[in-house]
Amino acid sequence: MTDIALTAPAVAPATATPSLTKTSRRARRLAYLQAAPMALVFLVFFIVPLALTLMVSFWEYNEYEIIPAFTVQNYIDVFDGCLSTSDPCTTLRTYLSTLKFCFLTWVFTLGIGFTVAYFLAFHVRSPRTQMVLFLICTIPFWTSNVIRMISWIPLLGRNGLVNDTLRGLGIIDRPIEGLLYSDFSVVLAFVHLNTVFMIVPIFNSMARIDRSLLEAAYDAGASGWQTLWNIVVPLTKPGIAIGSIFVITLVMGDFVTVGLMGGQQIASVGKVIQVQMSSLQFPAAAANAVVLLGAVMLMIVAMTRLIDLRKEL
Amino acid sequence: MDVELIRLTKRYGGTAAVDGIDLKIRSGDYCCLLGPSGCGKTTTLRMIGGHETVTSGDVVIGPRAVGDAAPSERGTAMMFQSYALFPHLNCRDNVAFSLKMRGIGKAERRTKAMAMLDLVQMSHLAERLPAQLSGGQQQRVALARALVTGPKVLLLDEPLSALDPFLRVRMRTELKRIQKELGLTFIHVTHSQEEAMALSDLAVVMNGGRIEQAGTPRDVFERPASAFVAKFIGGHNIIALPGEAPIAVRADRMRLGAQAGAAARPARIVSVEYQGSTVHVGLEADGMSEAGPLTAILDDDAFAANPVALGETVPLGWDAEAAHRLSA
Amino acid sequence: MTEIKLSRRTLLQGAGATGVMLGAGPITGFPNVIAAEPVTLRYLGTAVNQSADIARKVKEDLGIIIEYIPVVTDEVAKRVITQPNSFDIVDSEYFSLKKLIPSGNMMGMDARRIKQADNITTVFTKGELNGKKIGDQGTAPKKVFYLEGQTGKTFASSPTEWITLIPTTYNADTLGIRPDLIKRPITSWKELLNPEFKGKASILNIPSIGIMDAAMVIEASGDYTYPDKGNMTKAEIDRTIKVLIEAKRAGQFRALWQDFNESVNLMASGETVIQSMWSPAVTKVRSQGVACTYQPLKEGYRAWASGFGLPKTLSGKKLDAAYDFVNWFLSGWAGAYLNRQGYYSAVLETAKTQMEPYEWAFWMEGKPAEKDIKGPDGSLLEKAGAVRDGGSFADRMGGVACWNAVMDENTYMVRKWNEFIAA
Repeated sequence: MTDIALTAPAVAPATATPSLTKTSRRARRLAYLQAAPMALVFLVFFIVPLALTLMVSFWEYNEYEIIPAFTVQNYIDVFDGCLSTSDPCTTLRTYLSTLKFCFLTWVFTLGIGFTVAYFLAFHVRSPRTQMVLFLICTIPFWTSNVIRMISWIPLLGRNGLVNDTLRGLGIIDRPIEGLLYSDFSVVLAFVHLNTVFMIVPIFNSMARIDRSLLEAAYDAGASGWQTLWNIVVPLTKPGIAIGSIFVITLVMGDFVTVGLMGGQQIASVGKVIQVQMSSLQFPAAAANAVVLLGAVMLMIVAMTRLIDLRKEL
Repeated sequence: MDVELIRLTKRYGGTAAVDGIDLKIRSGDYCCLLGPSGCGKTTTLRMIGGHETVTSGDVVIGPRAVGDAAPSERGTAMMFQSYALFPHLNCRDNVAFSLKMRGIGKAERRTKAMAMLDLVQMSHLAERLPAQLSGGQQQRVALARALVTGPKVLLLDEPLSALDPFLRVRMRTELKRIQKELGLTFIHVTHSQEEAMALSDLAVVMNGGRIEQAGTPRDVFERPASAFVAKFIGGHNIIALPGEAPIAVRADRMRLGAQAGAAARPARIVSVEYQGSTVHVGLEADGMSEAGPLTAILDDDAFAANPVALGETVPLGWDAEAAHRLSA
Repeated sequence: MTEIKLSRRTLLQGAGATGVMLGAGPITGFPNVIAAEPVTLRYLGTAVNQSADIARKVKEDLGIIIEYIPVVTDEVAKRVITQPNSFDIVDSEYFSLKKLIPSGNMMGMDARRIKQADNITTVFTKGELNGKKIGDQGTAPKKVFYLEGQTGKTFASSPTEWITLIPTTYNADTLGIRPDLIKRPITSWKELLNPEFKGKASILNIPSIGIMDAAMVIEASGDYTYPDKGNMTKAEIDRTIKVLIEAKRAGQFRALWQDFNESVNLMASGETVIQSMWSPAVTKVRSQGVACTYQPLKEGYRAWASGFGLPKTLSGKKLDAAYDFVNWFLSGWAGAYLNRQGYYSAVLETAKTQMEPYEWAFWMEGKPAEKDIKGPDGSLLEKAGAVRDGGSFADRMGGVACWNAVMDENTYMVRKWNEFIAA
């Protein structure tokens, strides 16, 4: 455009053209400049480590060094024995176990989170009370992860409060072992820890629902459940999607909760990676991390297929 | 269907939002509840619609007192101020919503919804989401949605306030057309006296939770019951001569100069506004009004024949039969 | 070798490392004149050995400031390999040396500069105690105690003047049990997998140590005798993991544990009655008023040891200070301090001079306590009359069957261990 303006100075509008391009270019530069800090943070803390992880996952290693020679052995190790149909391999077993926890945790956190958010959004009128109740939701985060989980032992342990109470009431005559160090306790701890990540985005979505919509539904003859299902749930979808992504990624990557609540006897992908890191097997850990990342991304893509988040936001 | 309010009261804590009002709206009437904000008109509408509990008194729709019945059981439907269209449903599904809630099959409710969209000339945009519509279009959809279940009484909460002035006048005509076509009772809340005048068969002026006056627009304009009504309706001068009860005189019944008559008093001209077919003259006269200048609306011919200028002092009077005594 | 190798250090440290090496050299040889500016030593190690009392005492005696970098065992090795300039002295387990020395980030300590070098217990220098050979399966310290050269990457089979690590603490580990809940004598490792304790047993979830405990059990049950429990073949690893998986599927383990507090909680709460354990954890359980025995077993102990090492880049004042600190550590006070916690120290003679005779008799000679036994912090550990589990130093260290180790097949072992966890 500038060229045209220079070669054809006689054309009257040409004088306007270069100044226009100049401003639009400046605006563009400014936009890049404004995006730069975030892009830089993203690059340094996300893209570069990810690229390194991907690169290292194809390297060789021994006890004390990693060797930059291309190999797919690390991936072969990850899927070692997975072709046998009789006995699922470690990786498959681990992923199945992690997916099971994901699903159970998701169901419960969604159920509880939705209910609590609904109560906060539609039944608690004063913002102050909402604030107080919100703070109560974050109580699980007031102490460290480990202390929080150790404190389950006096509650759920063989001689813990629950077993003692049930025995005292004569409901059982021998303690229920499965309360602790079991799938049950892992899911319980996950739900306890992660429900708040469901509550917050769902509450946020609900708070933005115009109250007159509920009145309109009532006016149209919808019952409470019909309103919930036809109006509140569809309009809360973005919150549900965001909460679900939070919960699923947290559970997929977790190894501390599974470790402590599962009595270190339940496998998790995170634990496998951690053990390999501890043994300085970085390439093997990187390969596992790449597979985990792929799995989580697949789940999120599947979820965003169901709900177009960008449109909903 | 007739709608009757009997000693209808709504209290929030100690304050009465609606203070024991009685009103009878005949079937097929277009009724406007008119008043400043906070006068209780919206609360009254919501009580009629079943969106607000009644503290005491009754709402009678048709043959029966509706008590705490749900809106759908009353035969009423409401059109909300912001339209309250469901943002996740397209126009057709918005209109079909209440049919769906009643368990009517998909095909049938879609046919009915499309028919209703036809009535409001929106069937060509049936697949659009509310966010993709203009304000006027949204309003038509909201109207269709309210009408789809065949209510006997339609309640409209400031339905035109979100539109630009031009559209407002068009939609006004449209509302009136549909109301006449379907023969429904419309109860329409507004703070615009112009809207009320244009639409209503029964205009109800409210203030402070009470009804100041209910009657035909002409009644209300010709014979405002109180100083409040006269002021709110506009077009009136409230004249309080010393030692006499206040009267209201329509501004276009005020006379200047030679026509001012025997009871005329001197008044100073403070403004002259040319309006085309009329001229508005602002006047100040000692001892005639407590509430600022008076207005005289003169025919442009009359004004041209006897022009007055700013600052002049002229005799001011009115047609004797135009004086209307106000209750205190 | 033409193969280009990129060690983790080069990868992560980049040019920074070379810079430090170049700049640090010339200072050596200058007298230590600036007394007003005390030397700070960054001490990398596990929190277990890092006591504030020791740091305070060093400051008093030498004016050296100790800055602790407390991390877990695996992390110590990781830091040495990936960030060798992030510390001035490291307290590492001997079994990690198989990873640390080949990385080239460590240097041998000059025996001539260690005053007590000749008095370090023969457990380390010769692998004997009072002239008797002790078990040397696994990474026994004597196998990795000397280096061929100061910056050599190979271990010497006979004594040289370059010592890899100067011992800080070591101990003989065994099973902890709850005698009040078991109510019968326990004498063998095989009891860990005895179905009698189904749902009440535990081992640790640190693969390299856990698998050795499992190997002790398998040997005790007479199923298999390992040529070297600390260096299994793939077949041996498969066999061992198979036993663990069977036990796990049968519900033998209540939980596995991986840190100190977990092991204490399991035992103290009665969730487990028999498990692999560390000696201070047993002490902690007892201090809660819960009966817990660190049970000596006929097959012997699994021992571990850790010691001070120096990063290759250390020089000048810091290097001098590091030697000063190590010499001070061996001179008695610190040894006595560690002995009182139930660990053993490197130079027993010097430690003895800093302990009361009744303390020495209880901790080291396995005799009944004449008086109440108190920990370094003054807390009551044992009442008068108590006898240390396992008895004397000679009985316990003499009864070592194997040492914590890193196997040649470590990678494979870790993978199989993950299979066990997932089973």
